[in-house]
Amino acid sequence: MTDRALEGVRIIEVCDETGSYAGKLLADLGADVIKVEPPGGGIERKTGPFLKGAEPGPDTAIGFWAHNSSKKSVVLDLDTAEGQARAKQLVLSADVLLEDNPPGWLAARGLGYAALHAEHPRLVYTSITGFGQDGPHAGYAYSDIVGQAMGGVMTLAGEPADPPNMIYGNQGNISASINAAQGTLVALLHAESTGQGQHVDVSAQESLSMSQETAMQTWDLQKRNRIRTGERGAIPIALPATGIYECKDGYVSLFVLAPAGEDTPSLIDWMRDCGMAEDLDEEPYASLIPQLNMAWITQVMGNIELATQHVPALAHIHAVMQRFFRSLGAKEAYEEGQTRRLLVGLVSTPKDLGENTQLRARGWFPQVEFDYLGRSIEFPGGPYRLSETPVQIGRPPRLGEHTAEVLASLG
Amino acid sequence: MTKRPLEGLRVADFSWFGAGPIAAQTLCTFGAEVVRVESETKLDSLRVVQPFALNEDGTFKTGYNVSGYFNNFNAGKLGIQLNLNTEKGQELGYRIVEKSDIFLTNFTPRVVEKWNLRYEQLAAVNPRIIAAYAPMQGMEGPHRDFLGFGAVLTPVTGISHMSGFPTRPPIGVGTNYPDYVVNPGHTITAVLAALRYRNRTGKGQCVELPQLESVVNVLGSAVPEYLANGDSPTRGGNRSPVAAPHGAFRCADDESSTNSPDRWIAIACKTDAQWRALCEAFGHPEAAADDRFNTFDARKANEDALDALVSSWTAGRRAEDVMELLQSRGVAAGVVQNAEDILDKDPHIRARQYYTYLDHPETGRAAYDGPAFRLSDTPGYHTGPAPLLGEHTMEVCERVIGLEMDEIADLLAEGVLM
Repeated sequence: MTDRALEGVRIIEVCDETGSYAGKLLADLGADVIKVEPPGGGIERKTGPFLKGAEPGPDTAIGFWAHNSSKKSVVLDLDTAEGQARAKQLVLSADVLLEDNPPGWLAARGLGYAALHAEHPRLVYTSITGFGQDGPHAGYAYSDIVGQAMGGVMTLAGEPADPPNMIYGNQGNISASINAAQGTLVALLHAESTGQGQHVDVSAQESLSMSQETAMQTWDLQKRNRIRTGERGAIPIALPATGIYECKDGYVSLFVLAPAGEDTPSLIDWMRDCGMAEDLDEEPYASLIPQLNMAWITQVMGNIELATQHVPALAHIHAVMQRFFRSLGAKEAYEEGQTRRLLVGLVSTPKDLGENTQLRARGWFPQVEFDYLGRSIEFPGGPYRLSETPVQIGRPPRLGEHTAEVLASLG
Repeated sequence: MTKRPLEGLRVADFSWFGAGPIAAQTLCTFGAEVVRVESETKLDSLRVVQPFALNEDGTFKTGYNVSGYFNNFNAGKLGIQLNLNTEKGQELGYRIVEKSDIFLTNFTPRVVEKWNLRYEQLAAVNPRIIAAYAPMQGMEGPHRDFLGFGAVLTPVTGISHMSGFPTRPPIGVGTNYPDYVVNPGHTITAVLAALRYRNRTGKGQCVELPQLESVVNVLGSAVPEYLANGDSPTRGGNRSPVAAPHGAFRCADDESSTNSPDRWIAIACKTDAQWRALCEAFGHPEAAADDRFNTFDARKANEDALDALVSSWTAGRRAEDVMELLQSRGVAAGVVQNAEDILDKDPHIRARQYYTYLDHPETGRAAYDGPAFRLSDTPGYHTGPAPLLGEHTMEVCERVIGLEMDEIADLLAEGVLM
């Protein structure tokens, strides 16, 4: 039996979509995570996609599975005195409470931080919300897109002609959950060494702030807002060997102009090998191509005379490259380009990721046994590999699967 | 000040760019002493990337110490300049590792090998070390040496394909998104778990965070759906399977919003009650009864018309007013804020004092992201600004490594230290 990093840590999780990923991270590391769910389950249990060939319902929701592996499920109605009393017993038996309810919601049910801390001073009580436990917006209604808007990442994403884009995958919830996992562990280490528990307060809005990249500092230092610039980025023309190129069956993203990897002449070599270099070995292109890098482009674009002189040739080189990539499969372009040390990235689809050469070669997709479905299903492996205490992905629980067992253990 | 939870721990931070330094900074804010190992011979490029602090005449300050990009990820660290291209530099690196609890790097596997920083080598010096590596794709495997610089890894992880409008090519999300929270946050989650294991058993270990594996975990149901059902979903813009209306809606322009006058409000209605409250707030209670919109399924079926209707209500109004109007009725709504809003106007961020302002000898007073989780009794905080390049070379050599002054002088003369 392998050692588990969080062996012996009992966590009660009263979370739905905002905080459930935090519980998953800790459960896969070996904590005993007991998820307290309302009758019928929360939003994650009710949201598709559902497993094909099975009844759509709380036990076949794939999005729920993704954020709830390795947990136990106990159904309690926290709007009843009985449910509240049982939940309190559970928390008093635990090391950690993870919760993502609106501020005050658990306190109104006798499960607030002050009351539980008084009875159980070692308890780490982690609250994961849109805006945190205090401040003028603490009571604001939260949804992931609202967190992404208020946190400053949407203003940076998308074409200027479109509305700002949200990032897929509920990244406000994810960012808050990842910070909650870290905060819980820092507080747990402290509680294990001193006996002192505390309240860990995580706000999705604050959790997203770092993902503004340089926008915060650009305002602070230069009083300039970074805005969304879409496909072109900050330079108003399509640059050769940089950005999105369409392939036969998908897209690749290039950054050959960057000062890493091989330079543009190596890409031309590849095109020539495929008989697709067209007239790029002729002037004016041949002498332009070795100069193509980010520093040169920036200099040209900052000088109207130089720009007027070179833009038509740059546009032609770009068009030849577009024809070249349209002749290739996207995965082929990625793997061959990288073999040639060119900065080419596949714009991976979920299918590409499921079939990814590297992930498959490293055996990253564990088979999770679903006894109640009579089959096993592949899951993504963990985000990290620990040599002594590896992550293990356990089957997500059916709704209420452990209610009787866990409540009986409380006496 | 209260004693912070990670006081007494030392971190050997052999990282660069975003993900590695941010991870180490988190440990620093909660009390660990972080020794950031750098060298002008392999400079962290973020030191020379915008945004730079300005001179009084509006020109950019120059040099290695004036980038807000670098500084924001390195607050409170000790900076040593050590040339790891030399054998003696690598030896001194080992002496830092020997005195450390945690080693962090996001150098490529090639560089890790060139500089003899593999886990087996570090564990031979310090068996209790927790050594964390964050390669792009893994320390092993057929794509181990694939390049993932900047804008190339994000598309490989699937974020680009899944984000944005389906009418557009996969243009990405405007930033190298995985670098800032997902990868450093996962790294520290693993490191803290490894610390707990070490506390109980005395054993260190190797932590590997392949950035690809890290990011695929935060793609919700996208990859699990392919694995379970064989379906490969694609991007759906700002819409949601659980809410309608759901998106960003245009409000009145605001010319006082610096070079960013278009203003938008994000709105999400997950329930019929929230939809009715929204209609009433805008003075259109009849729309809630309209059979194109009166149930969630109806709203999803008529979502183009729904979005046009909501847009007609938000048009011409101040985004801040729409937020307050809707929030007062319990509808999730938030301004699409830019950095000016967040730093200077958002009353909530200011009341919670999320940002920390630190005096830096070259940039002057500047904002830093604060700790992104608040501990009520032992809060984290920044103890100082980012180090100048090599600012603490002498201090680290004397106090951490235990070198004598004449040894340091020789190493400086030989170009091992700088």
